[in-house]
Amino acid sequence: MSLIDALAVFADAAALPVVEFPFESRYLLSTIYVSLYVSVTAVALSTFASVPLALGVGFSEFRGKRFVTSVINTGMGFPSVVVGLLVLVMVSSQGPLGHLDLVFTKRAMIISQFVLATPPITGIALAAVTGVREDVRDAAFALGGTRADVALTVVKEARYGIATAVLAGFGRAISEVGSVLIVGGNIAGANGVSKTRTLTTAIRLEARQGRYELALVLGAVLVAVVLVVNAVVVRLGDSKAGTGGGLR
Amino acid sequence: MSLDARRITHAYDDDNGDGNGRGVADGGTGPAPVFRDVSLSVDRGDVVAVIGPSGVGKTTLLRLLGLFAEPDEGSVAVDGTDAWAAGERDRLALRRQVGVVFQEANLFDASVGRNVEYGLRVRRGWRERLRDELRGLVGDRDRPDAVREALDVVGLADYVDQDAGSLSGGEAQRVAFARALAYDPNYLLLDEPTSDLDPRNTAVIEAAVADASNRDIGTVVATHDMNQARRVADRVAVLLGDGLVEVGPTDRVFEDPRDDRTRKFISGELVY
Repeated sequence: MSLIDALAVFADAAALPVVEFPFESRYLLSTIYVSLYVSVTAVALSTFASVPLALGVGFSEFRGKRFVTSVINTGMGFPSVVVGLLVLVMVSSQGPLGHLDLVFTKRAMIISQFVLATPPITGIALAAVTGVREDVRDAAFALGGTRADVALTVVKEARYGIATAVLAGFGRAISEVGSVLIVGGNIAGANGVSKTRTLTTAIRLEARQGRYELALVLGAVLVAVVLVVNAVVVRLGDSKAGTGGGLR
Repeated sequence: MSLDARRITHAYDDDNGDGNGRGVADGGTGPAPVFRDVSLSVDRGDVVAVIGPSGVGKTTLLRLLGLFAEPDEGSVAVDGTDAWAAGERDRLALRRQVGVVFQEANLFDASVGRNVEYGLRVRRGWRERLRDELRGLVGDRDRPDAVREALDVVGLADYVDQDAGSLSGGEAQRVAFARALAYDPNYLLLDEPTSDLDPRNTAVIEAAVADASNRDIGTVVATHDMNQARRVADRVAVLLGDGLVEVGPTDRVFEDPRDDRTRKFISGELVY
């Protein structure tokens, strides 16, 4: 029995005496799982790429810096359907990544959401790290910090801004419909378990089929998931002096 | 054992904007040098006050002594080793012998203890730091004795767990002093450390300077407060115009200045 099946049995046993759901628990749980798996993975990968990129762009002087900054800012508004289309072309059998056989898989959805989440995370993280006073960098350097120490200190000082960047990236990823529909295909198995169906694509499908009650429940679940993730990220970013302090 | 600026000439940091931290001698077209041909030495245990009007280059001189930037001309040596002729790793080791306290406290957004511990922490290996962080997550982090001892020097040992953001300006500056003292540097550079402080906090900082001197730490303090220079310094260097016009024992410089510009500056006459 898979984890989804086990959770579904538990959910049915816990909820059935109280309320009758208009869907199978397994369907809902697997859809939530796919949404979270794809979005959290994409945003985590994007954060690992974006924060160093923001530090590099923010603290170095190079020809074309203004151009790079404007590309990042432009990327924030890049149409998601176009991103999905480009990723689909890349992973299709004719594309450069065709040999990886990624079409209609969660990995393709992760690639697409990574592309979508990276510009907002980089852009907002860039604003956050460049907002850290130069005096603080000087202090870290003066106390014997290496360049890595100074960078880590800046990240720590900018942690609220970076947490906001991560949340913005997550918000864009989890609420995304167009690109995940194109590269993922909105597939659920005959047993009702989602393969590439996310909460957003499920809502779209149920609404088109006139099952508004189910679509509204899925919408409420999506909002709840976003609220919980926001609360967790804010809590992590709020590790105050004395109780946290990080690696600074 | 001394920290030496040897015949340094310098314009503003990286005035030609090529990102290498060098100014006019690098071919830049920036303004005239802040100062020319400046030599200054501080021995271990010695306190040297650099006095001069605002904007004359006291901060720039301290930044060069602190190895923040390479002088356009001349050299800076720590215990006889030319810092800019040394490799990056050796220069880091030399830089770590020098502590700096700025005009602003520039404390990190963390507890007082974490601020003071910073210099000690960056000197540890990454593995040890990571282990310390993991222990911190379960509230089992060790605090080195040096943190409390350094805070004790500035009278703030009881503030170790307090949020740095909750301190007054004077307390923050005292923590900044303790932060530079905690890793036991051989030299201290103080840039107008009491310019924004009340008399009580100023007295604490000046007593801490004397304490550092007793610990055999060489100190350079840049100040435009001539009374403070008289109180804390063994020697005084007078920075006027584009260079040092006089360096000598504090009493002699104030009571019997040999340079006419020094005499006019001390007496309050405008000299430039």
